[in-house]
Amino acid sequence: MEPNLNDIFSSDEKDILQEIMNIAFGNATADLAQVIDIYVVLSVPNIKVIDIGDLPHYIKQNIPSSENTSILQQKFWGEFRGSGILVFPQTSGKDIAGILDDQFSDDGFTLHRQKTEILLEIGNILIGACVGKVSELLGTFVTYSPPHLIVDDSEGHNNLINSFEENQTAIVMKTIFEFENKNINGFLMILTDNESIDWLRHALQNFMESYE
Amino acid sequence: MVKVILIVDDSPIARKMLKNSIIKYKEFDIIEAVNGQDGVDKYTANKPDLTFMDLTMPVMNGYEALQKIKEIDKDSLVIVLTADIQPKSLASVMALGAFTVIKKPAKPESIQTIIEKAELKLKAMRG
Repeated sequence: MEPNLNDIFSSDEKDILQEIMNIAFGNATADLAQVIDIYVVLSVPNIKVIDIGDLPHYIKQNIPSSENTSILQQKFWGEFRGSGILVFPQTSGKDIAGILDDQFSDDGFTLHRQKTEILLEIGNILIGACVGKVSELLGTFVTYSPPHLIVDDSEGHNNLINSFEENQTAIVMKTIFEFENKNINGFLMILTDNESIDWLRHALQNFMESYE
Repeated sequence: MVKVILIVDDSPIARKMLKNSIIKYKEFDIIEAVNGQDGVDKYTANKPDLTFMDLTMPVMNGYEALQKIKEIDKDSLVIVLTADIQPKSLASVMALGAFTVIKKPAKPESIQTIIEKAELKLKAMRG
């Protein structure tokens, strides 16, 4: 059964978290726009609390086909810890390759390598800027593992699903984005575990107090 | 003089943060709207002196709401307060006639400075 967000966060805390994510996603897209000539259309962020045991089902629901999806994961560590997950439909492969280099190869192997490198860079920028902004606003800092790409095969997809421990709670902060004129859309999720919840609640209150 | 301020933002906490920053500076009549459509409706009903507008909102986004408000009143002063600080977003809202753009989260001092600028602009417009 899905835990109630209100059992973990008060209404105010949930609103603060949503606003912080809104700021962080906006910051992330601005960082991306600085290095790539691209405009990102953002949606209103959505925050959910999910049992880790239910996370595989949630991921399967949100990433319907592993064969048509590229998933990039980057872990972060600190008082605020978890994973940033960036999901792109794989059908947009050529468009993604075209973001940084209009002269991309039609050769399958080279295109795949180019796409991987670009996805890693985009993921690094988006996840790093987003998590970094959340950390900055909440007065902490995090360190990152290198991003890695889980693509193409159901094995990678299953490994991601099985990498989460059961009996934990995940706070899923998700936004849907679209790269304008590039026919590329996807979504960015920040997952954090229940060990971060106490710290997060305290940090959210501190953040809000600075505006009281 | 600025007497009535309209705040348009879907986030209750963003409205509260902005409201707290505004009243630290001075007392105003503050009206709140929860999305772009609500913002247009409340603008029409209340004719505020100054409007703070978010961009990423459900029902109607801030771009459309800004455009509609400028159609209603070309002299309206709309300050866009947004997390979406991409250069193209900033250029778009300025082209639509925004008074200025402030990056979220705005510090109370920035809000105070911008209200002072708006008051000068209003004074110049109204004589």
